Amino acid sequence: MDEVVGPDSHRWIDEHGDYLYRFALVRVYDSNVAEDLVQDTFLAALQGTRRESGPTAERRWMVGIIKHKIVDHFRRMAKEPLRDDSRSDVPSADDDFLVDGHWKPAAADSRGWPDKPDTLLEQKQFWDALACCLDKLPPRTAQVFTLREMDEMDTEEICRLLHLTQTNLGVMLYRARKQLRNCLSTRYFGRTEEAVQS
Amino acid sequence: MSWVARLLPTCQEMSKLLSDALDRRLPWHIRTRMFVHLRMCMLCKQYQHQLALLRRLLRLTNDSHSAGVQVLQAGLSDEAKERIRRALDSSHS
Repeated sequence: MDEVVGPDSHRWIDEHGDYLYRFALVRVYDSNVAEDLVQDTFLAALQGTRRESGPTAERRWMVGIIKHKIVDHFRRMAKEPLRDDSRSDVPSADDDFLVDGHWKPAAADSRGWPDKPDTLLEQKQFWDALACCLDKLPPRTAQVFTLREMDEMDTEEICRLLHLTQTNLGVMLYRARKQLRNCLSTRYFGRTEEAVQS
Repeated sequence: MSWVARLLPTCQEMSKLLSDALDRRLPWHIRTRMFVHLRMCMLCKQYQHQLALLRRLLRLTNDSHSAGVQVLQAGLSDEAKERIRRALDSSHS
């Protein structure tokens, strides 16, 4: 048995381990949890059988498994009494506006944002800045934002999964988007001199 | 002009509506007021563009060929790999 299954699963660790780990890490923001998710994924893969063949199919199959594992993890976390970020008043999303509801000049600064994503794709510095900005989101907010924007889950499903109301979810997504946009403006676009120092 | 402005959402309200519009279809009367605001307001127009760009970029992180997946240079540590290897071995022994 060992000769048949063992080497294959060891090969998985080398071929897909790092990829799956990063895939999980950008979603759960916790290296221990991400490691466990990778392990659970391989264990589940041992039990299952893959329908298609070929190296890319194997990768797709593993990604499919880890996606489920991540959702399970979020579901478990939703049962724990976690602070509801939508009511937290830490960085107020309204700091960007004047009393009359107009943008503050500094908040609206959009120098350096390109028209298309193409120019950014190959720039490691951009992705580093993005990872750093994602990391600054409050944990619950980061979770819903990831499900919505990376996994393209619809809002009803997220609400059901994490026991949120549509209103709360809407507020959390709104704050996440604004905070990310502000963070990227500061760290990457336009004000690069400052970003280097911070 | 000012009476028109009073009928329209403020920029602050627009920033929330532009986010909402990414998640669900808004009622037509709101969309109409947003449309008019966007025609007059360069800053909200820019904000809308930035949100759309952000969404496209984040979705690209799913593409294994893009640099986005390398966002985190980190990989599994050797200890973690060893631990997983042992867990896999013990599961089918």
